[in-house]
Amino acid sequence: MNAVMLTSYPRTLTVVAVLLTLLMLAYGGAMDAVYPSLLGVFEWLETTWFGVIGKTWGAAFAFVEAVHLLGLALLGGCVLAGDGRLLGVVLTDVPVQTVVERTHRIFVFGLSICIATGIFMACGVATKIYYLPVYWFKMLALSAGMLFHFQIRRPLLGHDIQNLNPVVVKMVAVASMLVWFMVAATGRWIGFSG
Amino acid sequence: MNELIYNLAVWLDDTEWSRMLHESYYMYNWVESTHVLTLMVSLGMLFLIDLRMLGLALPDVPASRIAERLNVPMLIGFAVMFITGILLFYAVPVRTSQSLWFRIKMVLLVACAVNAFLFHKRMNESVVTWDIEPRAPSRIRLGAMLSLTFWSIVVVCGRFIAYDWFDCDTSPNTLIDIVSGCVDGQTRF
Repeated sequence: MNAVMLTSYPRTLTVVAVLLTLLMLAYGGAMDAVYPSLLGVFEWLETTWFGVIGKTWGAAFAFVEAVHLLGLALLGGCVLAGDGRLLGVVLTDVPVQTVVERTHRIFVFGLSICIATGIFMACGVATKIYYLPVYWFKMLALSAGMLFHFQIRRPLLGHDIQNLNPVVVKMVAVASMLVWFMVAATGRWIGFSG
Repeated sequence: MNELIYNLAVWLDDTEWSRMLHESYYMYNWVESTHVLTLMVSLGMLFLIDLRMLGLALPDVPASRIAERLNVPMLIGFAVMFITGILLFYAVPVRTSQSLWFRIKMVLLVACAVNAFLFHKRMNESVVTWDIEPRAPSRIRLGAMLSLTFWSIVVVCGRFIAYDWFDCDTSPNTLIDIVSGCVDGQTRF
């Protein structure tokens, strides 16, 4: 049974191992050793062009925040449409493969907008977010979301959906929605912290 | 008119629930977070519909099917945003009603509603002739472009409300004061 699992889901198991390693690094004491040395990186980020613009020109920072939200809307729409279809809630008369495949490119576009604007915003408030636990939660959630999407969800749904266990497909959809909701919610909470 | 709005806002501000909502750290943040995160449902669905009309999303799925099937979650999202938006206004009524960005946002929301009405009307009239085309006719595409533009500016204005650049007590510019509806001798902010 264990051997079958290992050969059937190597990619999934690798991702789980990576995430567990990240969690152990974050909460198992290793992060405490690395954390002080990261302060220099965050201080440097504030001296970059992005950091200087973000700190001194409030309107630019606010505008980029709004673009970040637009990227999030695009990303969220694709996640909800794709995962909603996997759950049989929306677009039920459109083939699953079509919805999942066609929304993927827009998802990547939305994610790229979020990451680009997120880097800009992080540079502007780097020494503030460095001390915020919720920022590190968000980075963990984002890593989990990206690993899950590109290493588990997409390869899995690349197979013929009819041959997949419906329970697994629904679990993937629920997990996908939860992880991206977590990314968005922790991101929002950064604004309320500090 | 501005004095009427100001007096109404002061009256709202005096109600106990407004004060409680404003002063409750968690409740206010929960309402604001819900308002922002529901963007993923409302605007997420709307963007997919608009992008379909422009031929940039799901081009091989009939346009009417995308519009009809995503309409329900989109409207649920907008309903939640509407309720949480009213609550956010209710929590800080005086400052919000005199915010330049809030006023632009309200005008744009009306423009969005009119555009959505015209968009659906035009689409329902002609969709049978182009439903399976990857791109909608130019009139429909114009409506989709306007929708994307208006809603993007709505989000920008919504984000800008949090900043105090043009608040009545900080802005020395008379024109901005007039547009923002600042009232002479106002005591509440």
